Amino acid sequence: MLRTLREEHGRSISHCLPLFLLVLSLCFFFLSGVALAQGNYEIQVYGVDTVPPKNLMVELHSNYTVSGQTKTIDGVFPTNHQEHETLELTEGINDWAEVGFYVFTSWQDGHGVQWVGDHIRPRVRAPEKWHLPVGLSLSTEIGYQRAVYSSDTWTWEIRPIIDKTLGRWYLAFNPALERTLHGPDVHQGLGFSPAAKVSYDFTRKISGGIEYYADYGRIGDFAPLRAQQQQIFVVTDLNVSPKWEINLGVGLGPTAATDHLIVKGILGRRFDWGRKSPVD
Amino acid sequence: MALSSALLPRVGWAAAASDVTLEIAPYLLEASPRHHFRTVAYNGQVPGPLLRMRPGQEQSIEIHNHSGDPEIVHWHGLYLPPSIDGSMEEGTPMIAPGGSVRYSFKPDPPGFRWFHTHTFAGKDLTKAQFGGLHGFVMIEARDNPGRYDREVFLALHDWGGHFEGNDDGFMNPVYDVSTINGKMLGFGDPLRVKQGERVLMHVLNSSPTEVHWIALAGHGFRVIALDGNEVQQPQTIAMLRLAPAERVSAIVEMKSPGVWILGEVRKHVQAAGMGIVIEYAGATGKPVWTQPEDLVWNYQQFAGRGTAPSGTAPGDDPAIPIVLAFDSKFQGHGNEELWRINGKSYPHTDEPVLTAGRRYRLIMKNLSMDDHPMHLHRHTFEVRQVDGSPEMHGLWKDVVLVRAKSTAEVEFLANHPGRTLFHCHQQDHMDRGFMMVFRYA
Repeated sequence: MLRTLREEHGRSISHCLPLFLLVLSLCFFFLSGVALAQGNYEIQVYGVDTVPPKNLMVELHSNYTVSGQTKTIDGVFPTNHQEHETLELTEGINDWAEVGFYVFTSWQDGHGVQWVGDHIRPRVRAPEKWHLPVGLSLSTEIGYQRAVYSSDTWTWEIRPIIDKTLGRWYLAFNPALERTLHGPDVHQGLGFSPAAKVSYDFTRKISGGIEYYADYGRIGDFAPLRAQQQQIFVVTDLNVSPKWEINLGVGLGPTAATDHLIVKGILGRRFDWGRKSPVD
Repeated sequence: MALSSALLPRVGWAAAASDVTLEIAPYLLEASPRHHFRTVAYNGQVPGPLLRMRPGQEQSIEIHNHSGDPEIVHWHGLYLPPSIDGSMEEGTPMIAPGGSVRYSFKPDPPGFRWFHTHTFAGKDLTKAQFGGLHGFVMIEARDNPGRYDREVFLALHDWGGHFEGNDDGFMNPVYDVSTINGKMLGFGDPLRVKQGERVLMHVLNSSPTEVHWIALAGHGFRVIALDGNEVQQPQTIAMLRLAPAERVSAIVEMKSPGVWILGEVRKHVQAAGMGIVIEYAGATGKPVWTQPEDLVWNYQQFAGRGTAPSGTAPGDDPAIPIVLAFDSKFQGHGNEELWRINGKSYPHTDEPVLTAGRRYRLIMKNLSMDDHPMHLHRHTFEVRQVDGSPEMHGLWKDVVLVRAKSTAEVEFLANHPGRTLFHCHQQDHMDRGFMMVFRYA
């Protein structure tokens, strides 16, 4: 399924522990031997914040698989050296809801530029005024992708989102559940696809951290490790302006079912189409 | 100026009733039948009672704190000793929950002042100035600066605050409800007027953080005083701008019969309730609002013209410059900023030493992206430059809004010895260190 792991703009936690946590997380990842592979169209850990009303967030997700699957399996094109460009449009509904829409495309030598599919993603959040100790949000996403890019053509996902800012540190966890609506895995039931992010604000403009993405397989009957998708990205967020979102990362996937090396980038621009006048 | 003050022992209170008694107690504000706020208020009302005083005439004040938190009452704009001015940073004792205090003072200077709590709110946006602890003080001038038929006191306030972080890491409170005298537009009694009346409106912005713009459809405001101090050039203008803690006194000539709205100019704030109906005698119908298309205000129009009169000009007694740079310290995206004066946050800010009898010029360089309403306790200052204006004179205030990325300069005479607090009047900025204390040599 097309994974939609989203990290929002910067957040934060304290000083001096960033490297330690980074190393700890990397150790956990490699020692656990977990592995992952993913759709690689929108690689983002979701934060709780929603786009404000009368705002449109336009994001371009650019992901290139440096080292991935080299064979055609079940009619699905190999991912190796695929360039994915995903346009994401997110409109704020009110101060606790938004709707996102995706257009997935792929470029690959021999296949040219291809439309892959579209998804729609409504999302709600617990309003700030509830003063919860952590941020809470719930996203759901449904959509289609062509069979040559994913054997499961219709998929649905529900994604709880929990995040927390502690000083300069930012933590986010997305324990997502996925279901295939049409395709070979239609009888598989609910799959578990968690994602997480830990980042640290080095300065007002530069944050760095790690993002973790996984697909463990069906709940109650996880796939063997080699068949799981496991991926970890070292990322940086450049907070150059409230209107812009820039995220860059390099991801490693050590299991057989995971693309081994991916480079990703997200460029986002917020457009405020409300409040044209100072008196609005 | 306060000629005497005294903290009186608890015993013997019953012997003489005080001139003013303030009861601080929990209160349920009904801004509208659908909007209620649990808060704390003076004497069971929001805003608190209007206190009318005579300059120099001793007032005994008794304050009982029935709330669950320590409290303190700041007499904003009055020249009081630090022991009773109402700031623990100056040395005024807090009033413990269940405790009481009594003191007396001789109120000064004349004009429209106010009193309010001066406590810490932090992340609890129901406490301190976010709540209902504010009230009017009118120290009657011997000569009124304008002819009028009646006075009206209006307090602008915002309720139901909550933080909304933006992507740059700042945290700015936003509000669910805005009121005038504790009521949302359409839910309080209308202000009933008669044709031909001259109504002197004393408008106070008691909002914890918000600047407000006020207009009265079909009418203009003849501004005669700012922060209770008579202006040199009264002007008739279409709208008022009040930063937190600022006051404007303006005469409105009631010469357009009808039913009108006096309200916030910005649509979303008026929609949140900031407005009051002005109803002429005999007029009926739906209240009328005329929407201005821009926000217009400048301090300069009220300042004196020409050169400064002798005796107030710095040329006679060169003011000693004190440069104060305001900025914020980033503490992580989505996290609260720490506000700083010259690179330090209270309680680590410098304590400049003043010499009694000398004039000082505060050169306030706002390096931040926010506007800041700066307030000097226990003194009145003269605004000399603001928003890139040429040198001004005769504009006396105790709060001035220093716009983002601009410099404002004010001068004051150090004539009230004792610790003197200087701070941004935005509650969340105060709470995050935007304060400093001047002390006298």
